[in-house]
Amino acid sequence: MAILEVQDFNVTYMTKRKPPFKAVIDANLTVNEGEIVGLVGESGSGKSTLGNAAIRLLDPPGTITGGRALYKGTDITHLSDEELRRLRWKDISTVFQGSMNSLNPVINIERQFVDTIQTHTDDSDAAARRHAEEVLEMVSIEPRYLKFFPHELSGGMKQRVCLALSLVLEPSFVLLDEPTTGLDVVVQRSILQNLKELQQRLGFSVLIISHDLGAIMEVSDRVAVMYNGQIVDTQPARQLLEHPKHPYSSMLLDAYRELWVPAGESGDADGERASGAEAQRGFLFKPPAKTEPVVMTVANLGKTFSRRRGLKASTVVAVDDVSFTLERGKITALVGQSGSGKSTIAKLVTGIEKYDTGSIRFGETEVRSLRGKALRDYRSHIQMVFQDPYSALNPAHTVLHSLMRPLQNYKGMGGKAARARAIEMLEAVGLTPASRFIDKNPHQLSGGQRQRVVVARALAPDPDILIADEPTSMLDVSIRAEILEILNRLVRDTNIAMLYITHDLLSARMLADEIMVLNHGKVVEQGDSHEVIANPQDEYTHLLLSSIPNPFADLDVPTVLDRA
Amino acid sequence: MIYFLRKIVFFILTLWAAATLNFIIPRIQGGDPAQAIVQRIVGSNQTVDPRQVEAIRLMLGVPDDPLPQQYVDYMGAILRGEFGISYSYMPYTVTHMIGEALPWTLVLVGITQILSFIIGTLVGTWAAWRRNGAFDSVITTASSFFGTLPFFWIAMMIVYLFAFELAWFPDGGGYSGEVTAGWNWDFIRSAAYHSILPAFCLMVVGPIGWIMGMRNTMVQTLGEDYTRLARAKGLTDRRIALTYGARNAILPNVTGFAISLGGLVGGTIFIEQIFDYPGMGQLMFDALGNRDYPLMQAIFLFITVGVLTANFLADMLYGVIDPRVRRGGES
Amino acid sequence: MSLQEGQIIGEESLQPDLRSAQEEEMDRTSRIPIPGWLRIVWQNRKARFGLVLLGVFVFAAIFAPWLAPYDPRDNDFLPFQTPNSDHWLGTTQAGQDIFSQLIWGARASIIVGILAGALATVIGLVIGLVAGYVGGFVDETLSFFINLALVVPTLPLMVVLAAYSPVRGLTTVIIVIGITGWAWGARVKRAQMITLKERDYITASIFAGDSMPRIVFREIMPNMTSLVVAGYIGAATAAIGAEAGLAFLGVGDPLTISWGTMLQWANNSGALLTGQWAWIVPPGLCLALLITALTFINFGVDAISNPHLREE
Repeated sequence: MAILEVQDFNVTYMTKRKPPFKAVIDANLTVNEGEIVGLVGESGSGKSTLGNAAIRLLDPPGTITGGRALYKGTDITHLSDEELRRLRWKDISTVFQGSMNSLNPVINIERQFVDTIQTHTDDSDAAARRHAEEVLEMVSIEPRYLKFFPHELSGGMKQRVCLALSLVLEPSFVLLDEPTTGLDVVVQRSILQNLKELQQRLGFSVLIISHDLGAIMEVSDRVAVMYNGQIVDTQPARQLLEHPKHPYSSMLLDAYRELWVPAGESGDADGERASGAEAQRGFLFKPPAKTEPVVMTVANLGKTFSRRRGLKASTVVAVDDVSFTLERGKITALVGQSGSGKSTIAKLVTGIEKYDTGSIRFGETEVRSLRGKALRDYRSHIQMVFQDPYSALNPAHTVLHSLMRPLQNYKGMGGKAARARAIEMLEAVGLTPASRFIDKNPHQLSGGQRQRVVVARALAPDPDILIADEPTSMLDVSIRAEILEILNRLVRDTNIAMLYITHDLLSARMLADEIMVLNHGKVVEQGDSHEVIANPQDEYTHLLLSSIPNPFADLDVPTVLDRA
Repeated sequence: MIYFLRKIVFFILTLWAAATLNFIIPRIQGGDPAQAIVQRIVGSNQTVDPRQVEAIRLMLGVPDDPLPQQYVDYMGAILRGEFGISYSYMPYTVTHMIGEALPWTLVLVGITQILSFIIGTLVGTWAAWRRNGAFDSVITTASSFFGTLPFFWIAMMIVYLFAFELAWFPDGGGYSGEVTAGWNWDFIRSAAYHSILPAFCLMVVGPIGWIMGMRNTMVQTLGEDYTRLARAKGLTDRRIALTYGARNAILPNVTGFAISLGGLVGGTIFIEQIFDYPGMGQLMFDALGNRDYPLMQAIFLFITVGVLTANFLADMLYGVIDPRVRRGGES
Repeated sequence: MSLQEGQIIGEESLQPDLRSAQEEEMDRTSRIPIPGWLRIVWQNRKARFGLVLLGVFVFAAIFAPWLAPYDPRDNDFLPFQTPNSDHWLGTTQAGQDIFSQLIWGARASIIVGILAGALATVIGLVIGLVAGYVGGFVDETLSFFINLALVVPTLPLMVVLAAYSPVRGLTTVIIVIGITGWAWGARVKRAQMITLKERDYITASIFAGDSMPRIVFREIMPNMTSLVVAGYIGAATAAIGAEAGLAFLGVGDPLTISWGTMLQWANNSGALLTGQWAWIVPPGLCLALLITALTFINFGVDAISNPHLREE
């Protein structure tokens, strides 16, 4: 029996100044009793709009402009607010995207449960509290946390609390909007498993929305793919995997397939080596010779942060005894979850923070000793690609300005020469013809285009080392591979060393020659990238690998985990 | 806890800074006013009370003591509460004069501001809840209109209308000349009657800041995810408005209350001027007109300390009502 | 979230939840180039009204000598006249033409608004930017002074400062208002600086070899323009109100003809009792209109950075 049926559904954003924008076009979707249906699509595809509109939680200026949303056969698009209110939570509940903000910051968890329960039932305070304790236990949270305020819980715990809250009145339908986005894979894994268990036990129906096909495939019975406001493909999960109906679904799947079951693996990681133009620079210290393969040696690196909380001082060991080398033409991946210390290592290596113990040698220079002009000069040899392309380019300046600054500062180029070089750089990162992009402001570019500009800027001063800090984690799946490909090509072509920092073991495998797995500031595993994935030695690496949703697990194909 | 500790330290530091500022201001100009006053006292053949000179010396620093010595003396005197004799209200001490004026201001400001805050917050809450509705439009427009009118001008109009034209209320003073000041019924009634018009003037503009502050913050909290979730949970409108919208929106308003206190004192000074009301503002201008600089400075110090204390109390209250501060949060 | 999704649709973009809505908003704001920025202000009905009204006052201030029928200090006329064909608003107790004074009064307000507003803005900008950018102990110290200046009662401070100043001219008034009115701007700019300097593009500038002053003035400042403009207009508005207040209380410049001094004279000469409405109402209304004009313009400027306030 259908719990929720969306029929010929249309949602339009009506603003005064802009022409009306159709966010959802003629969508049809059914969620049956006891079924988990996944809705995937990139940001801007209209998936959240569809989900929220279907349960009448759309904020203006969004308006339902056509179609019906039937809950157990009743069209809820025309219910009055009061009729709707009585349906809410008892029948239809939801978990919002990134629950960081979903809990009222000024009242404790218990009050939020009790409020909700008592709005719809006649439970006494004590009964409501007992009930809250029960559902919290279902999501593995101890009852004592009821007395806590939201800011005292971790992100993963808040998400579990929200999940528990959504189930407290045993609804027959739950909408989950990006329930695990932004959480570490291990946490994501346990929450999704928890969800699946509960769903099997309690039998509610779920519509789960995510940009992450892997996560969706892991829990869903059926999957709907959304693209540009339309549902382009709806199939049982397994069937979608084998026979995608729409080119967009195939493209999405291919992006994952590339990570999990790469077709032709060259095995030749070295690529060809081209000698970059030798430039006159580094007069304050001697950079490693271009013929020297090792450009940076990190040995026994350690960094401790001390945090003062009033009178008590506590210390956090962020980096603990880390050693590695960076070599020309090679990519070294540093893999870890948030808080593992990977970003701290990037700061130490680039001289933004000073390390406490160990050494970082760039050629013959100890990085810690660099100050003022020498430090500035060092940075022309070591450049960064940032995580968020929306924050990495100054919105007040054009692409040309961003590219010209390093050229003028480090190369002493004049306006004309710098412009010519900037055009070359843009072409090198695939923004052709460059004249179309060079005078634009960042907001006129898409995320992928911006990230290309960021890469071009990093390469402008002909660095010896490139640090890429999660360069693709904020991009849509379909563009990630392109950016990685560009990085790969440029590193091999210009023969520079790259440190690739990521939380994603599979992309590290694809891109890097060597992988280091970082946990709590320590390197727990280090070795050839294919070897580490196929044959992990450390327990933590195992845990990470098994947490990554694998849509291909049930298919009879060998994945990267099986190959040496 | 750190929050409270920080606020206590800040409070002590601001008190010290205010006292120091009070010490510095007259000395920037090189002691001219002090010299002038002493000369006038000496030249007038009045009986010079040594305590008068003492007051001038403390506040303005006449003698040729080195500055650090003057500073130490000044701080010592302030801590002991010694401000010497008023030059213009001999033989009363500065402390006595302030003691006379302070209750008038305290009662007038205290009552009107607390009422303004309550009324403003309630009206702002309602306007935000029914945002873009008729009530909201009327309130927003009226607030911006009265907010831009010069405050003392509104007060002049009110005096004209209610005191001269209609003659419902007296046009000035703190109490009728026919009653004797003290704890007697006639006096209290007379004082209350005289305070209605000044209080009304303060209440015309008083709530505006709170209305707009509350309205704008609550419009934001109503758009937050937790309010959207409250709506999804099917909570009643009343609950959403109060526990989710208003409860969160009031927090910045409490901080705003603390900061705006300094400005409120300004309004009171105008009112006391216009109504000839025997409070601190009036006393300050008397002192200014009589070139009684020691008295003026003592008043400035008192007003500042009063505002800082009220501000400190508001900060403490904030710490109690925001769990993120109360329960170990950083900010 | 769904609303934002609608707005950024059409281009591939980031996972929306990884960036706070606020950042999103700020970036959208700073993305707007200057002409578009003026257009938003102009599109706001209130702001348009404000700009036109301000234009009228500025015109009166500049051309006062030609617009005013008499010299505002000329006291050859019969005092206490009620409005008549020679003196549209009557005359003062000293026999001066009130209408001429009203026109000249615009000058004092506009000058004080421009200069005291600028002084307060510059002090606030420097202190706010330094505190925000440098951080650490410098920030702690400057923040203390900002918070102190925020809570110290301004009017009594202005009165004391004015009382001790050896000369009493418009310059004194401007300086006193400027040095007592910078704190709010400093606080806002410090907060903005702290947010902006965490942006990756600032780190990128360091990696591009830019110097510290260049980063502050060429990379960060252009992203703060709407904030600085709004702050300036706010400071100018407050300064105009403060000048009128000080003049009314008799601690302003007694020789300058301003709307505040006009009201002081009117109040002292019992214009209320004699019913000389034309002496009291116009200066008050002019002040109100000028302040309204500036407030309305700021509604438009605010709308750039806060879509909640945007007229839909």
